[in-house]
Amino acid sequence: MAIKRLFIANRGEIALRIVRAAQALNIETVVAISDADRDSAAARLADRAVVLGPASASKSYLDPKLVVHAAQASGCDGLHPGYGFLSERAVLPRLCKEHGIAFVGPEADVIDALGDKLRARAMASAAGVPLVPGSECIASAGDARREGDRIGYPVLLKASAGGGGRGMVIAHNGDDAEAGFHRASAEAVAAFGDGTLFMERFVPQARHVEVQLMGDGKGKVIHFGERDCSVQRRYQKLIEEAPCAAMPDHLRAQLHQSAVDLAASVNYRNAGTAEFLYDVQRQEFYFIEVNARIQVEHPVSEMISGFDLVQEQIRIAGGADLSLSQDQVVLSGHAIECRINAEDSTRDFLPSPGRISRWKPPGGEGIRLDSHMSEGAMIPPFYDSMVGKLIVHAPTRGEAIARLAAAIDDFVVQGVPTTLPLHRAIIDHPDFVANRIHTRWLEQVFLPELAARQQ
Amino acid sequence: MIGKRDPAQVAIDDARALLQALMIHGWREIHVRTGDTKIFIAQENGAANPMRNGSASTLVGVSSPAAANEQVIVVTAPHVATLESVVAVGTRLAVGESIATLRVLDDLHPLAATVAGTVVRVDAAQGQLLDYKAAILAIAPDA
Repeated sequence: MAIKRLFIANRGEIALRIVRAAQALNIETVVAISDADRDSAAARLADRAVVLGPASASKSYLDPKLVVHAAQASGCDGLHPGYGFLSERAVLPRLCKEHGIAFVGPEADVIDALGDKLRARAMASAAGVPLVPGSECIASAGDARREGDRIGYPVLLKASAGGGGRGMVIAHNGDDAEAGFHRASAEAVAAFGDGTLFMERFVPQARHVEVQLMGDGKGKVIHFGERDCSVQRRYQKLIEEAPCAAMPDHLRAQLHQSAVDLAASVNYRNAGTAEFLYDVQRQEFYFIEVNARIQVEHPVSEMISGFDLVQEQIRIAGGADLSLSQDQVVLSGHAIECRINAEDSTRDFLPSPGRISRWKPPGGEGIRLDSHMSEGAMIPPFYDSMVGKLIVHAPTRGEAIARLAAAIDDFVVQGVPTTLPLHRAIIDHPDFVANRIHTRWLEQVFLPELAARQQ
Repeated sequence: MIGKRDPAQVAIDDARALLQALMIHGWREIHVRTGDTKIFIAQENGAANPMRNGSASTLVGVSSPAAANEQVIVVTAPHVATLESVVAVGTRLAVGESIATLRVLDDLHPLAATVAGTVVRVDAAQGQLLDYKAAILAIAPDA
């Protein structure tokens, strides 16, 4: 039942990561590649590479039938989807099951259920996990005032029938709520033909906090602590940390328990992450969603736990029990990760593919680089622009920041612009050092300051 | 281990990749400079070539897939697939006739000849897992 030959249905740094994890477990590896990735690091390291199709992701990495056929026909008995691409499309584990391949991830039905936001919220509620305080149906100004008073201001009024920011109004008190109802409802009728609104507490300065989970599929779930991913631009994470130093210990314990309870309630199998919104002022957290896969930022949890999550994923997919019990999970120190993208942050983050002419990464104690790049390698223009993740670990957050600054200063990359200088500036900023950041901080505070300095 | 590749070949591969990207994303032009290599590609409504105006232009030739005097057309796999069946060497083909059957999971995909001619070479075996662009057979087209 243990996997003997693993198919890796992904590319870039995560494909390389998975190949290395499989090799550490003495498992053969076959990696899927597109025409543009024939020369990739994962393709060179794996035992075999199978070319699915042309560079276009939709004709290669995103085609579940091509992926599963390649896995089956190359004799694989396991398949790891990585993150992104098909990792949360239930069709992939279904096809794997039909063709006798163990899927490294949750069951298809669980992926479906968690992928439906409403169902996921219902599951969270049933498991006693706090949701963003809200109200389903606001049909009058009176409703708006009453529910606003109950939920607690500020609140957000949104159109039930629509999205895209249309018909959204913030209200700071009861009068605002009534007036806001009329405005938002009229806009909603005009845009969607339906004036019904719903209301949610508005958290102006929220932090994004998530919990790393691992389940055995039989009801047992353990956690590896939480991560703080509040440095974001357009909802994309740039910097992640573990633990969330801005959350008091008693709240962190509640957060872990909520996440574990939710996952256990669905007999969650393999790796997953429960995401929460943290209202620092109110000292409350609310469930957002579950990501039913390994995530980009998993290394920070590995650094503070000393545990290899990807190897554990492969073991569980092969039928093994969890390697650790909760009290065997020991978390220590502080880890920070920077996602390094081939983008020009001085030109509105323009993706800048090209060839790397010099690549000299930093090294030393507490420094880890997850990257598929090397000198002479090309960043193809067809996929995301991430060239690697630089992760540091140190006993305290302050020491981790210092270690990260030194690591970035030592890192030589030439040939393409990267976001390394941006990261260096972010971790230098007094708000970051004092840990006063929130999910809108980069866009509302840091980037405007940076733009002003550049003029 | 990857040995050092011919820089000219590297530049050709880069140019091909950039051209594909330009077409997929609908960009008007791309101008890339890496070390000593400069590549400029533009649509007809794109900007003028900034590398012109009398400077000694280093012409990077893009080789055509089949040289002008090649006698055969190589049929390649349109995507990863298992070769279920293929016609034998010597088979005469009309346009549209089936030359091979590919299988992806339980789906069969027939491949049809796009030229009339004779099969002069079969490059893959029945039951073989074919990469995208793997050679299946070669056809000598009728004159």
